Amino acid sequence: MAGSPRSPGRGAPRARVQRSAVAAGLVVALLAAWYLTTGPLELVNSLQFPSPDDAYEALRQLTSPGYAGATLARHIADSLALVGLGFVAATLTGIPLGILMGSSRLAEAYINPVFQLIRPIAPIAWIPLTILWFGLGTAAKVFVVWLAAFSPAAINAFTGVRNVDPVLIAAARVHGASARQVLSQVVIPASLPTIFTGLRVSLQACWMVLVAAELVGSFAGLGHIMIIATRDLNSGMIFVAMACVALLGVALSVALAWVERWAVPWRR
Amino acid sequence: MDEVSFVVAEREFVAIVGPSGCGKTTLLRMAAGLDFPTGGAVRVGDRQIDGPGSDRAVVFQQFALFPWKTVADNIAFGLKCRGTAESARQEIVSHYVALMGLQGYERAFPHQLSGGMQQRVAIARSYALEPSVLLMDEPFGALDAQTRVGMQEELVRLSRINPRTVLFITHSVEEAVYLADRVVVMTRRPGRIREIVEVTPVRRREGWDACERIEDVMDQESFVHLRTHIWKLLREQHGASAH
Repeated sequence: MAGSPRSPGRGAPRARVQRSAVAAGLVVALLAAWYLTTGPLELVNSLQFPSPDDAYEALRQLTSPGYAGATLARHIADSLALVGLGFVAATLTGIPLGILMGSSRLAEAYINPVFQLIRPIAPIAWIPLTILWFGLGTAAKVFVVWLAAFSPAAINAFTGVRNVDPVLIAAARVHGASARQVLSQVVIPASLPTIFTGLRVSLQACWMVLVAAELVGSFAGLGHIMIIATRDLNSGMIFVAMACVALLGVALSVALAWVERWAVPWRR
Repeated sequence: MDEVSFVVAEREFVAIVGPSGCGKTTLLRMAAGLDFPTGGAVRVGDRQIDGPGSDRAVVFQQFALFPWKTVADNIAFGLKCRGTAESARQEIVSHYVALMGLQGYERAFPHQLSGGMQQRVAIARSYALEPSVLLMDEPFGALDAQTRVGMQEELVRLSRINPRTVLFITHSVEEAVYLADRVVVMTRRPGRIREIVEVTPVRRREGWDACERIEDVMDQESFVHLRTHIWKLLREQHGASAH
């Protein structure tokens, strides 16, 4: 084995330590500024933005007795399930469709116009219609999440397939690969990096529309916490829900990056 | 391209030289079945070519290795497509790994190798199929001068151990004379054959094969003579097109 692959872009260990020190310092400074402006300095009214104490209090209330009809764990589970279902559905439908459009001009001619027509409509603009179709239940929200995550997945799969180096396809053909082998052995692996770029965008889109969908109508979930907390003028509760969305979003992105590293080990 | 017609005999190494734009790469792509002539035909044996096939494997200038496959899997690619059994495949792969000096790199990915090593893998990938014609499209064009010389010597060694029918495109006259049995000299616009230069009789007579190193061959008066002859053919048309 010719040495393990390096991961450039991370630089020398010393530079890396320096960078994490800067990142950590910035987080500490932000937390300090938060504490000072909302607490001792009294620059910001706690109704507009919670102090760390308010946020902690809200978090405690959420975890043990619960708030807005459920405990934090239940709300998170609800939101995660919606994101998970929508994202998986978008992956399973968007990627094959993108690959189909990328490898067949005919399929592109049929599908692309519909796609171009639907794409400018913001996914949240579908919410009213989906409520009429599916009611306020899970199905409506999964549908909207799927809709938001679908286009980045499909478009990137399409772009990935279209940008496969033609010399690699030629190399496969002159070494005896059939059309099917060219697709499975060359086109799909070559497009994987672009496909994953699409999935990262999809995942972000999932979180964005999820909260919007839950704001409109739901019985649990992080968006539901926010809408109830607005009624209660509880800024601490809103803050906790937002922080949960941020942390979960980061956690899922990290998980996706792990999957990518496993699926695309040859990437420099 | 116009009125280009020549025959490559079995186990013969034919090089095509010509100015860029003379259509030598197009010629090779037609032989590979990647492009098609507007008139005329390309045949292997009695069969007219109607598409790519593993009987005419190509070594590309850009190596064209599959970045997601290890060295061993790249070499095994064509065999796998062909449906060669696992055990036979492994045997052939390890044979070519040893022959090309790639031992210890079987599990490496292409990006971990130098250009010269990558091209060895690509050559092994094509040789492993034992194609009836091996097509090489400026295979050493992307390598630095030293690596290039090493690979040229390697190819001569390989052709002696395992002689195959080879069609080799290059713009290096030295490379063509050093490697080939015959050199096809082409002209530009229209791409035509200017002359087909026989190298083998000279090589045999002057005992080039006794020389271990490329520079010893290139020092021979007979080599210089042939090289100058081809250069003049190429320069003639260059002068003509400058008018």
